[in-house]
Parts: sequence; structure tokens; C-alpha cells
Amino acid sequence: MTDPTDDTDPTTATESSDTGGIGDGERDPPRDPTLHRPDGGTVLEDDRDADLDRGPLQQWVSDSISHPERVYRAMFYVAAIFFLVTTLFPFYWLLMVALTPEGQLQDIVFTPNGFNPGAFVEVFEVIPFHIYMFNSFVIALASTIVVLVIASLAGYAFGRLEFPGRTPLMLLVLVISFFPPAAFFIPLNDLFNTSFAFLRPITGDGTLYNTPFALVTPLSAIFMPLAIFILTTFYSQIPDGLEDAARVEGTTRLGALFRVIIPLSAPGVATAGVLTFIAVYNEFFFSFLMTDGQPENWAPILDGILAYQGQYQVLYNLMAAASILGVIPVAILVVIAQEKIVSGLTAGALKE
Amino acid sequence: MARVRLENITKRYGEETAVDDISLEVEDGEFVTFVGPSGCGKSTTMETVAGLTQPTEGRVYIGDDDVTTLAPKDRGVAMVFQNIALFPHMDVYENISFGLRLRTYDDEEVRRRVEQAADIVQLEGMLDRMPAEMSGGQQQRVGIARAIVRNPDVFLMDEPLANLDAKLRVHMRTELQRLHRELDATIIYVTHDQAEAMTMSNRIAVLNDGKLQQIAPPLVCYNEPTNRFVAGFIGSPSMNFADGEVVDGGLETSNFTVDLDATRLPGVSVDDTVTLGIRPEDVHLTRYADSLAAPTDPIDARTDVLEPMGDEVFVYLLLAEDVEGSMEEDPATSPNQLLMSVTPDTEIEAGQDVDVVLDRSKIHLFDADTGDALVHGITGIEGPESGAAPTEAE
Repeated sequence: MTDPTDDTDPTTATESSDTGGIGDGERDPPRDPTLHRPDGGTVLEDDRDADLDRGPLQQWVSDSISHPERVYRAMFYVAAIFFLVTTLFPFYWLLMVALTPEGQLQDIVFTPNGFNPGAFVEVFEVIPFHIYMFNSFVIALASTIVVLVIASLAGYAFGRLEFPGRTPLMLLVLVISFFPPAAFFIPLNDLFNTSFAFLRPITGDGTLYNTPFALVTPLSAIFMPLAIFILTTFYSQIPDGLEDAARVEGTTRLGALFRVIIPLSAPGVATAGVLTFIAVYNEFFFSFLMTDGQPENWAPILDGILAYQGQYQVLYNLMAAASILGVIPVAILVVIAQEKIVSGLTAGALKE
Repeated sequence: MARVRLENITKRYGEETAVDDISLEVEDGEFVTFVGPSGCGKSTTMETVAGLTQPTEGRVYIGDDDVTTLAPKDRGVAMVFQNIALFPHMDVYENISFGLRLRTYDDEEVRRRVEQAADIVQLEGMLDRMPAEMSGGQQQRVGIARAIVRNPDVFLMDEPLANLDAKLRVHMRTELQRLHRELDATIIYVTHDQAEAMTMSNRIAVLNDGKLQQIAPPLVCYNEPTNRFVAGFIGSPSMNFADGEVVDGGLETSNFTVDLDATRLPGVSVDDTVTLGIRPEDVHLTRYADSLAAPTDPIDARTDVLEPMGDEVFVYLLLAEDVEGSMEEDPATSPNQLLMSVTPDTEIEAGQDVDVVLDRSKIHLFDADTGDALVHGITGIEGPESGAAPTEAE
């Protein structure tokens, strides 16, 4: 008898404690918390009431949360205006400086202090700036041609041939493109100042310093990897059948490259060419150091602009005018080629 | 025009052997088709003739010259490609004249020959179109014109009709035959479509796994296949095969027995395991078999599925009593099924019990292990002679 009692006792105890728990209901939190919790249900009502008290900023924020596209549009305009100002304002300022007569340069506030369009003529009178421009043009063009020819051959090999070591070689090209150009400068400058007998008929003193080669050679090498990558991508996408057809019809592999593959990769070639041209045209480091700055020694535009800086005066207005003139050829080039560049940079993967 | 001779051509890609010791000769003016399943090495073999692929071993001769190491442009070959491979940046005239302009012909001569070639493939008035503006058939005709304009010694055609729709393909097939007759040219043609191979070629070279299986005129390949692969590959639908054992006085397969006298058949002896091969059209209903000179004993069967094709009806026969037709089994190789083709006016329906006989003169026996053909036709008397002389290629 004791055992059953012992058994029932705890059971009753638990039951009673359970019922006790429920029975204490009045002091317990209600089973549905949303009904009575002070924060839960009331927030919405507060929100609507507060509408009237809001300032314009709060109102805008609240609208933005419900209509996020307004924020995106606002961000677009902010970003676009920011980039437009940072890129175009310097040109605007250059123009103002160029148009301001010499001697009144310190008072420019958004409009030129005077009007002197003659500065654009004067730049050619003070120094032979057209020769500097010509030099730059020749150097950029020569580098572009060298880059396109060699990168085409490399791109053909990397893009269309299977050979052992292709990937390591490709990586090597990539690694070299990451070297800082300054690392090449001292050995190259030393090399270009060394006199070689076989160069004497070409350069006079047998060195490459003060010749376009001193610029074309290193600049071509530096901008080559990018061109190789662009052209590799394009050439690899030309169907094998077209090359085979050209070869059966009577071209060599090289002939097929120049007659079929390159014409069909025109956007890629244009992209690589324009990028190289602009990069070489704009390059500072080697351009500044590989010649002595004299126009007859193939000094590029950079040296021309700096040549307005004399020992006793700096012709800022002419420097500004020369800078604007120097930008024009590249601007024209980009406008002409932009369609090809865009399709070359983006549509490469879509070619058949 | 020239002969083409391949001597022991082998091509390996690393460990893979794409072409394995192929030797063959294409006569002057002959139309030879390389046929075989995908990846059998037929395109690679053709590319070694074109010079687009260097063979790992072996020599290629065109005419009397060893051209193994010559560049494609110096071989006097022209090629028509499966993907047509017109130069998309050139118009039709420039495409056709591409090869001529690389050589020293004067403009007048180039124009004359281009117009002549365009005439042959019926492309008049389209010379200033761009390839993208043309239909597939027109593009392929430009491709053919580009090949014939140089008047090459050898034409290589790598599945030129594969990308065309079915109707156009049949049309171009006849055009190519006409072209072959007009030009009297040596043509090597690659296809996986045996209808093209059968209809156009003087001889068919059947390839499998990089090896040449048989090179013979189409009907010889059809009637006297040199091995089981050729027998199964040539002909559509495929030949029926049944494994069996030669016993005294007959051949026993799992479902039927065929009388034969092993002593009168060369290469066959009692206790050999052989594969019997019979084409669907050589299986006959017993009630229509009166005209057969040498029918086998009737075989009990039940019809399973009928495929009316219009000009004929394919009947899938089940041989074993309790066997159901199965999706998994290829009727050509399943031991319990037999494919028969009958004329459409035959009274037959699915699920019917029928008696069939085989035409003994059309029964092929293959070695069950090697697949090599042993006998074509087991009528017994003239059988050995007709069977002993398949055009051996290996």
C-alpha cells in the first residue's frame, strides 16, 4: 500500500503545481503578447501621428525608404556630377588660364581675367611646340605599331596554338606587366647612353639616347602585356575553320593571321591600338628622362610644356594653352574610336 | 587531277590515338567517302591529307609527290568545310577569289574564273552579297565555288552538308555528284551520314576507332561487309545479329536453329562460336517466301511494334515466347528480337504470331570474338567463293 501512495503523491504534486501555474494567470504575462505589450501595437499609431511634426529631411528620408529608386537616382546624379566636375573642371580651369593675359593670372575667379586667345598662337612662337607635338605623335604611333605587330604574333600563339608552357609564359607576361617602370629605368638609361658601333650610321654617336628608339622601345615593352591579353582573347575566338580555310586556300599561318584573323578582330585590334597610343602619348616618366628635352632630340609634348618655364618667369597661360592643344589629338582619336573601343572591351566574349 | 596515297598514317594526341596506321589509295578522279561514327578519326585523316594536321607517323602522297611535310597551300588541294568557313568580312566574289588573289593571276583571269565557278554552283548574280545575307545552302555553294575555282588536284570535303536541312541536303547531294562528273576530280568526302556515303561514292572507306575497317564500293560494303562493325554500320536500319554456336549440321542460336554444313563453309567448323547477321529486308514471312531459292526453316515469332515508313514497314519481332519488347535493348543486337522489313501491302499487325524465314544466301557469319566476316551467304555450294573474297583492307 505504501508504494502506490508514494507513486501517486508526486503525481498529484506535479499536477497541483501545474494547475497552480495556470491558476496564477492574472499575474502572468498574457498569452498573446501583441495584445498588451506596450511597444508592439502602438508604434504604428505614433508613426502616423508624427507625420505632422516632421522636418523636410525626415520627410525625405521616410519617402526614400518607401521609394528607394529616388535614392538611386539621386546617387546617380551625385556620382555623375562628381565625375564630370573632377574631370572637366581642370579643363575649364586650363582654358581660363590660357585665355587670361600674362600678368593677370592671380585674379581668375571662374571667368578669365581678360581675353587673350592669342595665347594659342603664341605657344608656337615662343618655342617650336608643333615639333614637340610631332615628336609625341611619331613616338606614340611607332610604339602602337610595334605593340600591335608583336602582340598580334604573341596573341596568335597564346590564343590559337597549343604548346607546352603556354600558361606559365602567359603568367610571366602578366607578372612583367606589374613591374614598376622605374625598376627598368636605370639599366635602360645606362644602356641607351652606351655607344654601339653598329648604331653609329643611324644615330651618329652610337647611342639611343635622344632618339625616338629610347622612348619607343621601353614604352612598347611596358604597354605590350595589356595588348597581348586583349588580342589573345580576340584571336582565340575566331573559329578554327576560317584559319584552316585560309591556309588551304593558299596562305601561310601568318598570312591567315593578317588576312583573316586580324580583320575579323578589328574591334580588339582597335582597342589595343588606341589604349596603347593614349598610354604612350600620356606617359611621363620615360618621356621626361630619355631625351634631353630639346625638340630636335625627339623630346615629346611633356618637355614642350615644361619649356615655358624659364629661369625668371613661368608662362602659365602658355603652358595651359599648350596643354589644351596637346589633349586635342587624343580627344579626337577617342571620339573616332570610342565605338570600337567600347565594343572591343565589352563584346569580345560575344563574337561567334 | 591526282591520286592520293596514304601510307601507314598514325596520329596520336598525347596518349590518345586518333588515327591508327591507315593506308589507302584514292585513284585519279575517284570519289571516296570516309564514313564512320563520331570520333573515329575520319576528319583527322582528311586533315592529314590537307596538311592541317601533321601525322605522327606515315607519309602522304598526292600524285607522285611526297607531301607529308608540305604546307597546305603547296599541296594543290581545296577543302569544303562542315561549318562552311566563309570569310565573313568578304563578299562572295572576294571569298571565291581569295585563293586566286594570293597567286599571280591578272584581274581579268580572276574574274573569268570566279564567274565560271559561280556558274557551276548556280550563284550567278550573288557575287556582291555578304555571306551573312545568304542561306545555308547558298553559303555552302560559295564554299564549293571557292574550292573549285582554283582547279585543284584533290577536293577534300569535310561533312559539307551536315549543317544543311534535310531537303537541301538531298538536293546538294545530287549537285555534288553532278559536280564530280563535270569536273572529273578526285574527291575525298567525310561524312557520318551513310546515305551520303552510299549514294555518292565510288568507294567507301569505313573507319572505326581510328582504324580502317573496309574500303570498297558501296554495294560491296553492304553485301559483303568485312567485319561485324561494317555490317552494323552500313545499312539503315542496322543488320540483325544473333550469337550462336556451330553444331553438327547447323547453327544454334538461343532462339532458332539454321541448317548449315560446316564442312562446306571455309573458316567455320563445328563448336565455333559465331555471330549470325541478317539484314531486315532478308527476313521474310513464310507465306511470302515461295520465291526464295534457299530459305531457312521457319522461325516462330510474334510481332511487337510496327513502324510504317511509307515505302516499307519495319516489324520488330519477338522470338522467345515469354519475352516482352524492351526499351533498353537495341533490337539489332538483342538475341530475342529480330527486325524485319516488309512491303506496305503486307497484311500484318502488332501482337500477331507469325512464321519467318531467313534468306540463306544473305546470311553473314562473323567470328564472335574478332568480329571478322567468315562467310557471306550459307547456301553452301557457291557460298564459299562469294564469301571468301571480301575486299580486304587490313
